[in-house]
Amino acid sequence: MSKEPQPPTRSDVTSAELLGAVKGFLMENVLPAVSGRDQFNARVAANVLGIIEREQALSPALQALDREAAQKWLPDQVSAEDIPQQLARALAARNIPADPDFMAYLKARQLLVTAINNPRYASRAVAEARWR
Amino acid sequence: MTPETLAQYLDDNLAALLSGSLAGQAVSELSRLSGGANNETWRLNWGDTPLILRRRPFSADSVANLEGNILGLSLVDEAGVIRLASATEVPVPAIHAVFDSDHPIGEAFLMGFIPGESIPQRWLTDNAFETARVNLAYQCGEALAGIHAIDCRQLPDSIRPTTLDNRFAAAQKRLHAFGDISPVMQFGLNWLIDNAPDNAPCVLLHGDFRTGNLLINERGLAGVLDWELTHQGPAEEDLGYLCANVWRFGHLDKPVGGFGHYEDLIAGYAAVAGWTPELRTIRYWEIFAAFSWGLVCQTMGALWHSGNGDVERAAVARRRSEAELDILLLIEEWEDA
Repeated sequence: MSKEPQPPTRSDVTSAELLGAVKGFLMENVLPAVSGRDQFNARVAANVLGIIEREQALSPALQALDREAAQKWLPDQVSAEDIPQQLARALAARNIPADPDFMAYLKARQLLVTAINNPRYASRAVAEARWR
Repeated sequence: MTPETLAQYLDDNLAALLSGSLAGQAVSELSRLSGGANNETWRLNWGDTPLILRRRPFSADSVANLEGNILGLSLVDEAGVIRLASATEVPVPAIHAVFDSDHPIGEAFLMGFIPGESIPQRWLTDNAFETARVNLAYQCGEALAGIHAIDCRQLPDSIRPTTLDNRFAAAQKRLHAFGDISPVMQFGLNWLIDNAPDNAPCVLLHGDFRTGNLLINERGLAGVLDWELTHQGPAEEDLGYLCANVWRFGHLDKPVGGFGHYEDLIAGYAAVAGWTPELRTIRYWEIFAAFSWGLVCQTMGALWHSGNGDVERAAVARRRSEAELDILLLIEEWEDA
């Protein structure tokens, strides 16, 4: 009679799990031990870890969106670096018209950026309902 | 400065300064209230009279080289403007003493303590403030009209009239100085330039008239605080700023500061000013306010990089994305209207 194969015991810790561990430390150990400004900042710090976690998950989608935009509106661009910056400069020079196609890109991008930085911001739900 | 040193300096100076106005011989119960980004706020008693001391803990010169002026006025000029406002119907604390930056106390002013609730999360939801919330939009309209009627010729020299073109140029310069990192901020500025209202006469604006800077009692508006961003501009700018999404604390269905409606704000304003501001112009200034909040977030990021500020300031830099979202949303609404 052969033994059921045991699932391996996990010994690695992913970066998402590390973030979770630090967040738990801040909320469960640091927060009750400090007061005033430090307590406020401990909460801010735990929120910041959430931003990093969401950015890790969503930045590939954001980069894909930006590369697509570069093909359309930055035909002469040489590097894939700093696409938002090159777009901002082209807008400042009035070289990109704010037509529906370009506006659709800005809106899709902003839904992703706010999903990273503040998914609970009240007007995000309004934007999501209108633009999706 | 330690509380003991500050109390000693106040004891040394206040008896002579306050002898004609307030009874008392010594400072008691001096304590620091939760501080703003730029100024310390202290509560104290002089005799039986509760007072508030606003104090700038560093010289303005030490931050003058940083990009963007988030300090606003000197406290001496701020006290001067509050004194002008106290001659009107606008509820403001009485100014009892002013100290310039050469004084041992440092740049500071001493004002009366107005009882009331200053934490929006409390007065926006607590039942005790229900009547206050019903009255407040109209009262804010009245107060803003009162501020706007102050004679600009009496203002300190630091508060000059300006044009929209100058302000657009300054904003563009800051976007460039911050490395042009945001297509939405640049789109927003382009749109604000292309859709700017005709230059209106400059009036004295509070400049930071938002839900978080109001003192509320059970009847409504008890005090207008934080005058450090006072400047000159068109009247509708203050009205639009109060209605900006970012200051509504999530209550998007109450466009005036998360507590009221446009028609009440406009009616209160018209009753005192004698003319009726256009809603469309107010909404233009909401978009301007969203853009300005984005610039403030960028400034916070730049200040943090220069070694000024803690983790909260670093995190505020990311709130730029809220401003960007509002810019896109509000411009779409403006154009669909």
